Amino acid sequence: MTNAILITAILALLIPIYKACTEEDIWQKMLALSSVSSKVSIAILLVSVQRDDWSIGVVAVIVLSVGNAGLMLLANVLKRMGEA
Amino acid sequence: MTWTELPLVDGISNFCLVGGMVFWFWGTTQLLTRRSVLFKLHGLSVSDTLGSLAIVFGLLLKIPNEWPLLILAMICLAVWNTMLGYVLAYCSTSGDQP
Repeated sequence: MTNAILITAILALLIPIYKACTEEDIWQKMLALSSVSSKVSIAILLVSVQRDDWSIGVVAVIVLSVGNAGLMLLANVLKRMGEA
Repeated sequence: MTWTELPLVDGISNFCLVGGMVFWFWGTTQLLTRRSVLFKLHGLSVSDTLGSLAIVFGLLLKIPNEWPLLILAMICLAVWNTMLGYVLAYCSTSGDQP
């Protein structure tokens, strides 16, 4: 079951990656990239639970936290650049 | 037989995993439409957060010996994804104000 979920998760991941590559508007691109970041971390978590390997799971949680934090900082930088 | 092998718990776990996937696809397909940033952001933040929480909860039921890590992931998801949705909404619209 978890194998099927993992393959479906990777398929679900392709849509925002396609959108991030083809989109011109910066905020639509940011949306797609934030979706990629949370989906990738859940896919990593799926692999770590399946292999029963905690170190991969910790990487997934770090990607989840730091990835989203980085996107927030980037959004604020883009806002400031837009105002300047 | 441990409680994780009970058919009911296995059923709930599979329901959560499939439900999370449905949420993911529902939110992600909205990305492909021609709607505004805020409309897509709402769909995405709801689907990514709730869908991922359902998937992680399904995993928790299936393989409970990694419960500390999975609960940490659920807390991170609930906090960071919601915060990111708010920051993206604020930053993407603040330029439009007169």
